[in-house]
Amino acid sequence: MDKFLYLLTEGVKNTWRHKMTTFTAIFSLFIALYIVGLLATAGNNTYKVLHYLRSKYKIEVFFKQDVSNEEAVGLIHRIKKIKGVRTATIIEKEDAMRIFKDQFGENITDILGYNPLPVSAVVNVDRTRKDPLRVEPIIKEIRTMDRVEEIRYQGNLINKIEMNYKRISDRFPYFSGIIILIAVLIIYNTIKLSVYSRRDLIQSLQLIGATRLFVKLPFIIEGIFIGLISVILVFPALIGTVKGLNYMVSNFTSLSIKLTFDTSVWIWLFTLVVVITLIGSYRAASSFLK
Amino acid sequence: MIEFQNVSYAYNKGYGVNNLNMSIDEGEFTFLIGPTGSGKTTLMRLIYFDLLPDTGIVKINGYLSNKLTARNISKARTSIGMVFQDYKLLGDRNLFENVALPLHVLGFKGGDIPGRVEEALELVGLDGKEQHLPGELSGGEQQRACLARAIIKEPEIILADEPTGNLDPVASFELVRLLETIHETGTTILMASHNYNLIKGRGCPIYELKDGILRVR
Repeated sequence: MDKFLYLLTEGVKNTWRHKMTTFTAIFSLFIALYIVGLLATAGNNTYKVLHYLRSKYKIEVFFKQDVSNEEAVGLIHRIKKIKGVRTATIIEKEDAMRIFKDQFGENITDILGYNPLPVSAVVNVDRTRKDPLRVEPIIKEIRTMDRVEEIRYQGNLINKIEMNYKRISDRFPYFSGIIILIAVLIIYNTIKLSVYSRRDLIQSLQLIGATRLFVKLPFIIEGIFIGLISVILVFPALIGTVKGLNYMVSNFTSLSIKLTFDTSVWIWLFTLVVVITLIGSYRAASSFLK
Repeated sequence: MIEFQNVSYAYNKGYGVNNLNMSIDEGEFTFLIGPTGSGKTTLMRLIYFDLLPDTGIVKINGYLSNKLTARNISKARTSIGMVFQDYKLLGDRNLFENVALPLHVLGFKGGDIPGRVEEALELVGLDGKEQHLPGELSGGEQQRACLARAIIKEPEIILADEPTGNLDPVASFELVRLLETIHETGTTILMASHNYNLIKGRGCPIYELKDGILRVR
């Protein structure tokens, strides 16, 4: 028990004895974990941003002049059944007139003597699907209805957003894989360098009869301790970054997106750092043992 | 205690030791002399199993070089105290921590350690310097600290590899006197040196090593 307590305190004391090495290691680990954490947070929020943008997709369907409100209800019912349509809301002739007045300040019936605005519908698309959304099939199907006069939608913009989403979601696993690999290598080598700088200690311990485990344990504890400090520092840094981004989005843009930080990212980083520092310090200490 | 039977060891770049036969009994103080590069350090390393012979057998306190496991090497070393020319003290720990290190390795209880460290430092004349870092001590003091670290675990054997190599004549003489004092307690000591004037006339067996070949002087 005394031996274990000694090794435990040695591991922690070593971080203080080698302040500069410890600081460098914590800094490197912090940067690596911060980048991985940011990436994971970005991954978590990509779908949220897409969900928000999809909620803004709007297809306006204008019916022919002679379509009555009652007939339009039937047509809307048919639109709702099209695959990919989430909601379809009727804009009756009277509603259209009210909207016109709100936008232009004039009552169109006072000018023309009658209401020329047709019954229309606002169609919202399904925003929950993970794969890219295509509005053309919906438009094509609506066009087949002979009582439809005109369809307006932001086709190019929607396609651009969906294409970029597809591009990002296709490449994200590879990109994050590379970043995680780089982070793992940085963490591993940082720990290895930290052990390397004290190979004389390993040699001295061996010469006075220390077992391999006795030599390795303080390094393992030290490695994990450094990793834990780094990951503890990363947590507020990531939350701060997300809060800062939310502040900028809400104050400097018209978007109403609220990014979130998923604590599972932190748990994931925590596990990652413990595993890598454990393996890294074990292997590094082993490589300097005879 | 220490026995070499037809021991040879060769480095990649040349000979280390060649067909050594040597026996040192329990409680003996033996000197090993020879010029630099003659194989003294190789012989020492063979004793503490830092090197294993290419041929022949080294037998130390019942441990045979041809039947060793990694765990046995650690065990064998716990009964050997070592003093090196370059001290091998840990620069980031104070004198107390350096000297106490073997006791931690052996699993001594925390409460028993300060007393033993104090005793060892007193014996080598370094009492009162417990909090000093090795860099704050003179060469002679560092070597005595190294000796304190070697004797604190009350080893059966002390190996001193050129312990006076970096010391002035007075400090060298004092160190040999210290080793003689420790020897009086029954510890087997093997000291390597290239300074014949320092060891002659002390009534101890002297082995001479030249070009890897050993002979009794």
